[in-house]
Amino acid sequence: MPIIDLKNVTYRYFDVEKPALKDLDLEIDEGDFVIITGPSGCGKTTICRCFNGLIPHFYNGELSGKIVVAGLDVKETQTSVLSQHVGFVFQNPENQLFALSVEKDVAFSLENIGLAREEIVERVEWALEMTGIIELREKAPYELSGGQQQRVAIASVLAMKPEVVVLDEPTSFLDPLSAKRIFEVISSLNKDLGITVVLVEHRLDLASEYANEAVVMDEGKVSFVGTPRDVFNDRDVWALGVGIPKVTRLGHYLKERGIDLGGVALTPSEAADLIRGYMNR
Amino acid sequence: MKSLDGLRFRKRKTPIHRLDPRVKFLLICAIFALSIIFVDLMSITIIFLALVPLVLLAQVQGEWLRSLRASALLAAFIFVLNLIFVSDLYYALAMAFRFLVIVSSFSIFFLTTSPDDLGLALEQSHFPYEFSFAFTTAIRFVPELAKEAQIIVDAQRSRGLELEGGNILKRIRNYIPILIPLIVSAIRRSMELAEAMESRCFGAVKMRTSLHALKIRSMDYLVILMIVLVLAGSIYIRFYIHLL
Ligand SMILES: Nc1ncnc2c1ncn2[C@@H]1O[C@H](COP(=O)(O)OP(=O)(O)O)[C@@H](O)[C@H]1O
Ligand SMILES: [Mg+2]
Repeated sequence: MPIIDLKNVTYRYFDVEKPALKDLDLEIDEGDFVIITGPSGCGKTTICRCFNGLIPHFYNGELSGKIVVAGLDVKETQTSVLSQHVGFVFQNPENQLFALSVEKDVAFSLENIGLAREEIVERVEWALEMTGIIELREKAPYELSGGQQQRVAIASVLAMKPEVVVLDEPTSFLDPLSAKRIFEVISSLNKDLGITVVLVEHRLDLASEYANEAVVMDEGKVSFVGTPRDVFNDRDVWALGVGIPKVTRLGHYLKERGIDLGGVALTPSEAADLIRGYMNR
Repeated sequence: MKSLDGLRFRKRKTPIHRLDPRVKFLLICAIFALSIIFVDLMSITIIFLALVPLVLLAQVQGEWLRSLRASALLAAFIFVLNLIFVSDLYYALAMAFRFLVIVSSFSIFFLTTSPDDLGLALEQSHFPYEFSFAFTTAIRFVPELAKEAQIIVDAQRSRGLELEGGNILKRIRNYIPILIPLIVSAIRRSMELAEAMESRCFGAVKMRTSLHALKIRSMDYLVILMIVLVLAGSIYIRFYIHLL
């Protein structure tokens, strides 16, 4: 049974004529690392809001269809309950940190659900360690870089021990190196803890190597689903204007000029291996 | 912003910083009360001088002096006003000193109490959590808003906005192109914050727990005892033996 299951989902924001999601179907299996991408305004943020119940409980618009996440019917379950199963990391790091120290921030949701203090202390420790920010514990948010702030945000959802972590363009405010570090942290949550990851991302150059599934959206619909290799190698996907990894495009251009590397690369090191293989042939 | 620096908390490990914020607040109130009980110049000078060791112990002398300097003008104003209307030099001096005592005690309190602890103190004194949350969040976003205001000023200036010059009305009008984007972005920010709070289970249960808890220690009890003794002694001296 998929951990996220959307069937015929249509959503219209309050007082907006055009639906943001149109008769959309999507299934995500437990333990997957899924990248969602697509042109801006195609509904990526909107679909993320459906995963933890911000839609329909926080945004009152018109929702139809069925949404089941971690076995819970999203329409019937409060966001505060869903958030214990689905962690949500937002785009802007500074607007999701509330406390005046890192450890208070990581503890925030645990305090909100009334866990015992010993349990909170233990989980905060664990989440700080998992995200590599132990030494930042007493810092105030404004003393941190954007990348560090985003790691605090990840730690604070991790502390809830969720089954799913959803991240909506978590690196768009960050430089490439910090972005890469964030992807490594996210990847370790998936690999080492078995958490299902849904990552909305434009930086496919850096992110696609970690994912085992790619979803491309367009105009409120899912247009393509498959392995990142298949999806990003599809010329129809290119036409939508998503940021296809450069080495994948390179492979195509070489093929058009009669050089078939015999495979699709997603990262520069894969491309290097393919080219070396071709030269030795 | 600069003048508020005299009130901004700095992390330090001193006995004053470590006092329980509730006890420290009691201490400040006691100083406040003393400076109201006594009206003569000598007592108020003694109270003022008694603050000096406190300031030194807390290692906030620099910030304290700055807050004094910032309030010097107002103190002078109070002095002149009292001199004119009461025409008693000693009384006028005492009033000005009284003002400085009050400023100092508040300055010591805010300089040595982390807003987080203050929030905790509110929470543990059974104020509604929303109250202390609003307080700590406001403090948390002051630097962000200051940064944002600076960005907007720079952006508008680079498009040719003149902030200086003109009469007062013109100067106020000059700030409209700064204020409007600032307000719009604050509203947008509050929407994002609300969404994030919702996703972090804000208000999920009535009995919220807390990572840290304030605990009254023996040092705090000692300070409470001292406060009670000094207050009682002062009231006795002032009202029963009319020494001063
Ligand atoms: N809070 C909102 N109120 C009204 N319309 C919205 C809101 N958020 C997004 N939309 C609209 O919904 C559509 C999808 O937006 P969004 O999900 O944010 O796209 P993406 O994240 O892919 O850029 C857009 O047309 C956008 O204008
Ligand atoms: Mg978006």
